[in-house]
Parts: sequence; C-alpha cells; structure tokens
Amino acid sequence: MVKPKIICVTGGKGGTGKTLVAVNLAIMFKNRGYKVLLIDGDVENPNTFLLLNAKLKNKSEVLYFLPKIIEDKCNKCGLCAENCGTHALLYIKDSYPIPISTVCSGCKLCYKICPTNAIEPDLKVIGWTYTASAFNIDLFLGELKPSEARSAVIVNKLMENLEEVIKTEPEKYDIVILDTAPGAHCDVEELINGADFVIPVTEPTRFGKLDLLRIIELINLLKKEYKAIVNRSSLLGYKEKFLKELEEKGVEVLGDIPLDEEIVSSYCQGIPLMEETSKFDRDGAGYKSFQQIFENLMEWGEFSK
Amino acid sequence: MVIIGIPTFGNKGLSEVMNDRFGRCSSFTFVTIENDEIVEVKTVANDAQGAMGGAGIQAAQIIGNNGATEVIVGHLGPNAMNSLSALNLKIYQSQGGSLTVKELIDLHLSGKLQVLTASNVGAHAGMGGGRGAGMGGGGGRGRQ
Ligand code: SF4
Ligand code: SF4
Repeated sequence: MVKPKIICVTGGKGGTGKTLVAVNLAIMFKNRGYKVLLIDGDVENPNTFLLLNAKLKNKSEVLYFLPKIIEDKCNKCGLCAENCGTHALLYIKDSYPIPISTVCSGCKLCYKICPTNAIEPDLKVIGWTYTASAFNIDLFLGELKPSEARSAVIVNKLMENLEEVIKTEPEKYDIVILDTAPGAHCDVEELINGADFVIPVTEPTRFGKLDLLRIIELINLLKKEYKAIVNRSSLLGYKEKFLKELEEKGVEVLGDIPLDEEIVSSYCQGIPLMEETSKFDRDGAGYKSFQQIFENLMEWGEFSK
Repeated sequence: MVIIGIPTFGNKGLSEVMNDRFGRCSSFTFVTIENDEIVEVKTVANDAQGAMGGAGIQAAQIIGNNGATEVIVGHLGPNAMNSLSALNLKIYQSQGGSLTVKELIDLHLSGKLQVLTASNVGAHAGMGGGRGAGMGGGGGRGRQ
C-alpha cells in the first residue's frame, strides 16, 4: 500500500502563477498515466476550476463551532474561560462567561470540560467544499463565505477530506497537488506541512524575490524540501540576473516559464496548456518550459512511470 | 458610586499618565467616585500585557473583576471593544495628549469626554507596527 505523493505549489504574493503551475503539473502527471487529485487551497479566491473549465459538484457545508452558554445549567465556575487557549471566553467573577466569537478558534475544549454541561454547540456555516473533475483530474475545492475570516477552517476541512480518501481508498490517487493561497499565513502553512515536495512560484522582480525568501523561511521552518519556479522569466530580460541572485542565496530552481501568448490563450479557452488533446504549439516557449520543469520534477521526486 | 478604569503605565495613582494602549498597558488605575468626589484610587497590574492574542479580552476581564462600570481609553481594538460592550461598560474616549488620571477625571466630571461607540484601531495594532489609529468611532454624544 503506497500513499500518494503530495506536491504543494505556493508563492509569497498573489498573481505569480501558482494556479497556472499547479493545474499544468496536474495535467502533465495525468498525461503520463498518473491518477491525480488537485486541491485548491485558496478558499478566498478559488479559481482552479475556472482554468479547468470544470463544473462544481457535491456542495457541502463547513460548520464551525461556537460555544453557547446555557445559563440555567452554568454555575459560573469559570473553568471554561481559564482553559480557553485564545481567551475567547470573557469571565468576570460570579457571572456567566461571555463568548467573544471573533477570537474563538472553534476547538470545543470548553464544551468538553464544562462540569455541568452548560455549553452547547452553536454551529454556524462558514463556507462550503466542492468536488469537480475535468480532463481526468479530480478536484477538491473550498469556498469561504464572504464576511467570514476563518479560512483555515475550510482548508483544514479539505485536508481532512484528503486524509479520509487516503485512508479508505489508498490507491485512488498517485499524486496530489495542493495549490495554496498567496501569503505565508496559517492556511498556507497547513498545506505546506502536509506536502512531500514544495514548489514556490515567483517572478523576477524585487517584490518577487522578497516574497520568495519569506516563503522559503517558512518552508525551512517546516523542514520541507523545495525548488522554486520563476514565472514570466522573460519579463524585462532580467532573468539571468535574477537567477544568479537566487543562486547566491542558495535557492534551488526547478525551472522557469517565459511570457507566452499561448499561456494567455489557454486561460481564455479554459483548456490547460499542457493538456495532451489540446491544439497548442508543442514547440512554443511556454510548452517547452513546462516540459522541462516536469522532467526536472520527475527526477527530483524520483517519480517512476 | 462609579468606578472608572484607566489604562496607565505605573502606580503613581492620580498623577499617573494615561496609556493609549488598552490591552497592552502595564497597569490599570481605578478611581472610585461618589458625589463627584474622588474617594478611592487603586492600581492593578495588567497581566495580559504580553499575551500573544486576546489581550484586549483579558484586560476587559481585569476591568470587570475590579468592579469598574466605566473606562476612559485612548486606542481600543475590536476585541477589547466587543468585550467592554459585552460587560455593559460605558467607554469614554480621552482627548489625546499625555493627560494624567487626575486631569482625565476632572474632564470627565465636567462632561468633556466623548462616549466611544466603535473600535478605533484594527486588531493587533498593539503588537508593534500596527495600522495607525484615527479616531474612527468618536460619536459626539457627551455624557448622558
Ligand atoms: S465551565 Fe461550564 S459551568 Fe463553569 S463557567 Fe463555564 S459554562 Fe459555566
Ligand atoms: S471553542 Fe475553544 S477557543 Fe472557542 S471558546 Fe471554547 S475553548 Fe475557547
């Protein structure tokens, strides 16, 4: 029984091309006969399904726990507030604790430890998960309800769903690709932490470099292996200088993707550039760069087939 | 009788200067007033000062546990605002500048402080950097 290999595609800032890379890696693995699951962890702005022109199915609510104090049962002992790690229960001597929902992490500890069972779950829908499939790739994605802030709960749910699949049907997927949200906050951290290989995507600008170094710091903290991809590498002709700078910082690079019209037209058509049945130019600069990246990745990850 | 809580720096009582940061001040000075006269002044250390998160809530807890019914504050984050409101405390906004507890109480007694109805800084503004702190809420209702 083998577990699928998990590859996390991330990157400091928004718009560096994470989704482009994640989708096309998924497609290239599929072209080679791998069974692929793509997870879109950018729950505030999920868009992999747009790139794949996929229809969402199996909408399911993600519920979030908030404590509700049943005053008739509460003896005002304060135990719940004392033990709440985020101090989300406001407790004044001899009065009922007051939940402060904006800081509650939903951990349910208070609910479990209340000696008089005075705490009941006050469940709230904070978003949804979906599944989809397109081009023989399965897709899991989540959507955070507008006005909600706890995106990590949805990301958590997606990862739980993944664990469930691995447990019940370990052979269902060979490769899982995680596409993260921009930034280096806890959603991203959770996904990186769940991966075997991490691929930060950047672009050859000063901001790109700073964000890349920031995310690499996080990757190193989590003790994960990574190699970077430089997107829009033909931008302003700074590629060589940028690659040299990365080398000086000890950043390993998996490959680079030039600006390419075919990439733009693949966006517009909702057909991934690397899809085997597509009509994109096999000799195009973008196409070739992805092929090279894929070969490097196969070697790095020691993937067979 | 009302007890007024004020975030401060140390324990110099009425001559202590107000601390603009509510959750992360080092102490609270509590002033008890009866018939417009100051009858008691006491200082309580703020244990929540270095808390990783939820400092505003813990600070509100200190305020509540010391029996205060009113507070005078400089900057107030959303969690502190929610907590103080949940405790039904009346929140007054200081006029800025480094005023002492005594000066603030005098302003308060003469009705010159405004009631604050909404948080005037973002969450975690107290944790270094922050996002600047305009007097968002304000709400010029004076003393009721
Ligand atoms: S632990 Fe239970 S009984 Fe004690 S204060 Fe909390 S809710 Fe009330
Ligand atoms: S669920 Fe957890 S974080 Fe929320 S109030 Fe209860 S103990 Fe605190």
